[in-house]
Amino acid sequence: MKLIKKQIPLAIVFITGVLTLVSYYVPHKTSVDYIETMNKWENIVVAFAFLLGLISLFFSHYHKIARKADGWGYSIFVFVGFLAIIIPAYVSGGKQMVEGVLTPLGWAYKYIYTALSGTMFAVLAFYIVSTAYRSFRIKSMQAFVLFVAAFILILGKVPLGQIIWDSVLGWTGQRAPDVIEWIMQVPAVAGKRGIMIGISIGAIVTSLKIIFGIEKQYMGKD
Amino acid sequence: MIKHKVLLTLFLFLFAANGAFAAKTAPAAAVLDGLTAVDMPYDVGNAAILRWPANPSDAKDTVYVVYASSLQTGGWVEAERFDSGARTGKDIELPFWAWSGSVKEHAVKVELNNIFGEGQIGLSSQFKVSVLEKGKKLIAESLPVAVTPVGNWFRLDRLNNLILLIGLIVIFFWAVSHAKRKGLFIRRIAGLDAIDEAIGRATEMGKPIFYVPGIGSMSSISTIASAFILGEVSKKVAQYDSQIKVPHYDPVVMTVCKEIVKQSYLEAGRPDSYREDINQFVSADQFSYAASVDGMISREKPAACFYMGYFMAESLLLAEVGATSGAIQIAGTDVEHQLPFFFTACDYTLIGEELYAAGAYLSKEPMLLSALKVQDFGKLVVMVSVFFGMILVALGAKFGWTDFVQGILHLFRNY
Repeated sequence: MKLIKKQIPLAIVFITGVLTLVSYYVPHKTSVDYIETMNKWENIVVAFAFLLGLISLFFSHYHKIARKADGWGYSIFVFVGFLAIIIPAYVSGGKQMVEGVLTPLGWAYKYIYTALSGTMFAVLAFYIVSTAYRSFRIKSMQAFVLFVAAFILILGKVPLGQIIWDSVLGWTGQRAPDVIEWIMQVPAVAGKRGIMIGISIGAIVTSLKIIFGIEKQYMGKD
Repeated sequence: MIKHKVLLTLFLFLFAANGAFAAKTAPAAAVLDGLTAVDMPYDVGNAAILRWPANPSDAKDTVYVVYASSLQTGGWVEAERFDSGARTGKDIELPFWAWSGSVKEHAVKVELNNIFGEGQIGLSSQFKVSVLEKGKKLIAESLPVAVTPVGNWFRLDRLNNLILLIGLIVIFFWAVSHAKRKGLFIRRIAGLDAIDEAIGRATEMGKPIFYVPGIGSMSSISTIASAFILGEVSKKVAQYDSQIKVPHYDPVVMTVCKEIVKQSYLEAGRPDSYREDINQFVSADQFSYAASVDGMISREKPAACFYMGYFMAESLLLAEVGATSGAIQIAGTDVEHQLPFFFTACDYTLIGEELYAAGAYLSKEPMLLSALKVQDFGKLVVMVSVFFGMILVALGAKFGWTDFVQGILHLFRNY
């Protein structure tokens, strides 16, 4: 049992991991073909897993409706939304446009899906404002530094801010766009690079832990 | 008869004069010497490098045109066109240990798959170079040269990368074997210490916990790290007999997380509390997923929200709704441009590498904890390299050691 549940999966992870790692240093066509094959396998697995996901989604919402759980009415929209796309897709043979004319699928995609996605994305703008308001509440030294940097950026980006800057800090000889440029190119990039270096090294070590079987929490304990 | 002879003589004279005039205005093009074609080293076998000596007397408006053909004769296709001052041996994107180029020569890499399509590996191709004055008038042309590109077995240009990796692997095994003998100090990570507090709060309030693994696939390192954290979080949830909900974007991640959560409940001794609907597939569309999870958070008002994994624009959509609902929020991602949104909307945020370390930190397994030391070693190498690299490059720039500076930069470059 341990062989099937532990050793074989670990061997598969090790062999696949090492081969994929080696393929980074081997430019030969064999290596390229191997990566392409792995990608194809991944796509096949994803396709089957998507079916599992769909079944999970339908069962979950069906049970909510059947049990009349809190908010069960929203679950109806899962099925309505599914049918609103799948029926036009079936009728249109999967094509969004035929001879320059929108098919029912094209119509559903353009006037339902794209509109809803756009709405959701637009909501982000309002959330950015409320988040900015929260981050401007100075509760610590770090929050103060964040506030000062953000305030300078805002000041330099709007015409009124530039007028204020020139009248108050004009004597320093520094223009608002220059200060903004410096903030964006020096401290911001330095911080970002520090984070990226940490992330890269962390990713390498995590990969090594998985390849060499040190990290096997995803398979449960012995 | 005489009239015809005169006309013929006149015609021949004009024809000969015209030919002589033409020969005088368009002299035969000179031969461009020294053109060689070699297989592009360290590639899959679909490129060639052409080299020929640069001519210092070239006018500024002189243009070189490289032609390629996959046929034995004819079939020439323009592959590259550049000014006489461009494309020297120094411009080939290879490090000093893998390529020796000079500014005294022209070197052009020709990607054959871009010209003739895929499937050129092992097939012979011909090249010639024309020199044009003012971009039009042919003044010199090389003889055709042929090369058969082949696939290579090692990327010598990535040797620096390989050496660093081998160094890391050696340190990795040293750290792992060292862990068996004695424990190692690991600094506190506030965001991870707060997990107990968040789960305790949810238990006291009798409200659920939302664990959002992001929109990454299972091949994303941050999603894998998130799955490890989910294992530890769900174990604690099972121990406290609280509720957890894990909405998914990717069905593969959902399948893996189902097994992880089930295993955690088993390990906590509460397999009876495990429900199949803890992990739920929501949508494989970014904004549909965000809208659905936002709806769940708004309706169910969870006591705690965890956002661990790979996030894009939905990060703020989720975190802001969670903050509005009054949940304690802990986030972690390796997408650095989404971190500011989590910083402002969440109570605790794990920055990149802390997310990777979280599984080890929470499980407290010595071997996993010791592997964190490798990350510290990697950072030390980077810090020392940056410090000395900065000094050497500054000195090189000051004293004009161009080749030395380029060599240092090559060492730290990814090819």
